[in-house]
Amino acid sequence: MHITTAIRSKTGRRGASLVALGLAAAALLSACSSSSSSSTTTTTAAPGGTLSANNAAYLAADLKAPGGSLNASGSTFVQPFFTSAFYKYSGLNQALQVNYQGVGSGAGITAFQAGTVAFAASDVPMAAADLAKVPAASGPVIQIPDILGGVTIAYNVPGVSTRLKLDGPTLAGIFDGSITTWNAPQITALNPGVNLPSHAITPEVRADSSGTTYIFSDYLQSANPTTWTLGASKTIAWPSTAVQTPKNSGVAASIQSTPYSIGYVEMSYAIQNKMSYAAVKNSAGVFVVPSPTTVAADADQKIGVTPTSFSIVNEPGAASYPIAGYSWAILLQKQASPTTGAQVVKVLDWTTHTGGGQDLAHSLYYVALPPAVQNQNRTQLLTVTGSNGQALLTK
Amino acid sequence: MTTVDLPPPARTGRRRSLPDNGYKGMLVVVALLVAALAIWFLIAIVIQAKPAFSTLGVGWIFGKTWNPSHGQYGLLPFILGTIESTAIAVALAFPVGLGTAVALAYLVPDRLRPVLSTMVELLAAVPSVVYGLWGLIVLAPVFASTVEPFLTSVLGWTGLFDGPNRGVGLLLAGVILFIMILPTMVAISRDVLAVVPYEQVEGAMALGATRWQVLRKVVLPAARTGILGAFTLATGRALGETVAVALVIGNSPYIAHSIKSPAATIPSLIVNNFGESTGTELSALFGAGLVLLVIGILVNSAARWLVWSTGNDSAGVGIGR
Amino acid sequence: MTDVLDAPADPILERRQAVQAAAASSLRRRKLGSRLALGVCWACLLIAVIPLVAVVVYVVAKGLPAWNVDFFTQPTKPEGIAGGGVSNAIVGTVVITVIAVVVAVPFGLLCGLFLAESDGRFATTLRFTADVMTGIPSITVGIFGYIAIVRNFNAYSGFAGAFAIGFIMLPVIIRAGETAFRGVPRSLNEAAMALGARRATVARRVVVPTALPGVITGVLLAVARGLGETAPLLLTIFGNQYLQWNPSKTMEALPILIYNYSSQPYADLVQVAWGAALLLMVVVLVLSIGSRLLANHLGKVRR
Repeated sequence: MHITTAIRSKTGRRGASLVALGLAAAALLSACSSSSSSSTTTTTAAPGGTLSANNAAYLAADLKAPGGSLNASGSTFVQPFFTSAFYKYSGLNQALQVNYQGVGSGAGITAFQAGTVAFAASDVPMAAADLAKVPAASGPVIQIPDILGGVTIAYNVPGVSTRLKLDGPTLAGIFDGSITTWNAPQITALNPGVNLPSHAITPEVRADSSGTTYIFSDYLQSANPTTWTLGASKTIAWPSTAVQTPKNSGVAASIQSTPYSIGYVEMSYAIQNKMSYAAVKNSAGVFVVPSPTTVAADADQKIGVTPTSFSIVNEPGAASYPIAGYSWAILLQKQASPTTGAQVVKVLDWTTHTGGGQDLAHSLYYVALPPAVQNQNRTQLLTVTGSNGQALLTK
Repeated sequence: MTTVDLPPPARTGRRRSLPDNGYKGMLVVVALLVAALAIWFLIAIVIQAKPAFSTLGVGWIFGKTWNPSHGQYGLLPFILGTIESTAIAVALAFPVGLGTAVALAYLVPDRLRPVLSTMVELLAAVPSVVYGLWGLIVLAPVFASTVEPFLTSVLGWTGLFDGPNRGVGLLLAGVILFIMILPTMVAISRDVLAVVPYEQVEGAMALGATRWQVLRKVVLPAARTGILGAFTLATGRALGETVAVALVIGNSPYIAHSIKSPAATIPSLIVNNFGESTGTELSALFGAGLVLLVIGILVNSAARWLVWSTGNDSAGVGIGR
Repeated sequence: MTDVLDAPADPILERRQAVQAAAASSLRRRKLGSRLALGVCWACLLIAVIPLVAVVVYVVAKGLPAWNVDFFTQPTKPEGIAGGGVSNAIVGTVVITVIAVVVAVPFGLLCGLFLAESDGRFATTLRFTADVMTGIPSITVGIFGYIAIVRNFNAYSGFAGAFAIGFIMLPVIIRAGETAFRGVPRSLNEAAMALGARRATVARRVVVPTALPGVITGVLLAVARGLGETAPLLLTIFGNQYLQWNPSKTMEALPILIYNYSSQPYADLVQVAWGAALLLMVVVLVLSIGSRLLANHLGKVRR
């Protein structure tokens, strides 16, 4: 437990990587044989740590969760991953069905506060103001990362077939309405040789409260600390020229229908839809194309994420794609019903570990959680208790 | 029901039916329950909307800025968006719907009439979400590349067609709504036109009137009430349409200064934000729902007044079917 | 020849010619105007039919390929998994519609009967209320359903959806019922009462059977209307990827599925969505046309 509190109280990358090294050392010391099952996920770099030894035992127990059905809702960022992962889980444990609906991070949090879902998913953890709306009688809230993904800048510019290069200041100008045409000097300067039209830019953004919006605006704020004035939030006061559509899938569809538009969508939506997306300049000055590899490179720069220190945008490193983020699963630490509680923790444990749901990440254009984060998750899930105080996650 | 010791005699309804008082009482109870449901609806919405009005006063309904995360609430952009998109739809649907109804009732050969009537009614069978998707996927690119540039070149002098040709926006929403309310306008108008007393038509023709003159001077005035009724129903449907509009209107919480701008309506505001709202914002959304109800009732009442003030029509056809 | 032309001018003849000339030119003008106006009406018909054909062709083209055995028998499956279908949405739609009908029809018809038989102030107010209720936007019904059912029971459910859909159907049934019951000739009522029947008997044996065509039409139309509603279901039933018959749990419905899946980036999900759109369209069309045919048929039989 003390490791957890240490992670929570220390902010800053140095403290987190020290802790990660400590975890890795502890894991190495305690395990006689590495029991992480073979996986086809992208290899995570050394700072990612190593998976705990008894992973397989936990995974096997996860598949023996009590029968029934669960409702969960939230982020559309994570929806393709969750739907596939829960479907696979139900295939292995036919008694339990997990029904996940992508309604947007904000709506997921609200449903969680109202108690109408067993757990929620959001690309930005609940802040203090959100936590205050959870009834006090429900007890403390646990938030764990469940997958890693990137936010691409997708665009639809007829006549432009080469990949556009964009940087922080330019993106900020486009999305706050100060840059209005495609052949604006800021854009042409970054893309010499590309014949950019003089048409007006239509920014495409989210109409609903969105964690994807948070990650993107967080990046804009981080890259433009003085010039980006609209803040980092799930809902932004976008300019009046912006077209707003609900859900990641809606924004993607709108971009494809609106010529000379540009918007932000989670990576798997852009790749699956075969959309054009931009190479974004990271903090090392390199224009990086979003991909699972580059997103992983960004995340590896900050392994020790916590619900209060969760932002991984704009991390250093030449290979890092700067607009990336974790998606978070949110659940109550004190589960009123031991059956539902056991179902929740076991499903989430299975979904967030290699050998379980994380194996699906790569094929869906997400990035699996680094092993250190997975270990951290399990530690958190082990603290979930039923009404009698007994831990619900078992081996 | 009364219990009887004798075996029931054959073929009388007497012993098995409710006594008159019981029957009447049952009907009254049901009617009261329905009334109670309507009252519950109204009270529930008002109670949920009240906190917004206590916190923000009443003027917020006409506020221009909607930014809940900064505590700013204003419904004017959405009220205007609702009215404007409905206005476009109705401005198109009234003449086109009436013309189509005339064509179906009088011009189309008898053999083709059922087929064509069914085709127009097919428009009503398409689910509204399909209209929204078709509008976004098929119509929006066509608007952006062809329709909007054309309209801008022809009507740009009015100042209503400023801005880029995005496809999605107020205009597309109005057009999609027009397509959706067209069957309502056509079906009711056609039915109403068909029941105009034929003696009047014959009389006019005997006087040497052309077909159009008969229509204009005899048939349409006679069917006036029913046509206005169709108009009301169509307008009501356009005001309340949610999903189709949310997909094509752009959901921009600002007052549209051009017919091509993205805009938003009250239904689209509610459907996009309801899931994630709490506290004052949630209450404001209920307030928006209340405003929408009031707008609907105002439109309905205005139409009824119009009907009443233009006098009774000789066809005597009522509103609604 | 010349002698006819040399005849003195006949004022009556001239006047007749003048009148005929004026009439002819007026007729020409009016006929032109008539042709123009009627041409405009034809054009309107064309304008009305073109989007219809475009939309239906589009839905059929995108939806028909999705129709196979799996489509109707399997629940939705995630992207990439073969054999997905919409059985969960079909079951959800059917269960919700059936519950809504079972509750709304008896209440609606009895209320219609009440309105048809009464003319007091309460009846007038109730009639006006039902009229207003037909125009309530479906999203407002949706938020009412959320507050009334979902909030109170702290769970999304098929019942909440059925409540909202039933609320939308109720005023339609009331109005259609009242119109149908009022259409029963007074003489039939009076004859039955003269035979000594109680009012309940009269209603059950005379009014309702006579009004049945109109009633059935009204009910079918109400059902067709309820089937296409998306917004109220979005707020009340939550959605469900699995087959679920129990209305106290979260359910899926065809309009929700179409809304959620049609803009997904996976071609197989999009195809399933359009297949569902085609299915919904066909069902609503069959109900609408069927109700009209049934009304015509029953009306003919009666006569």
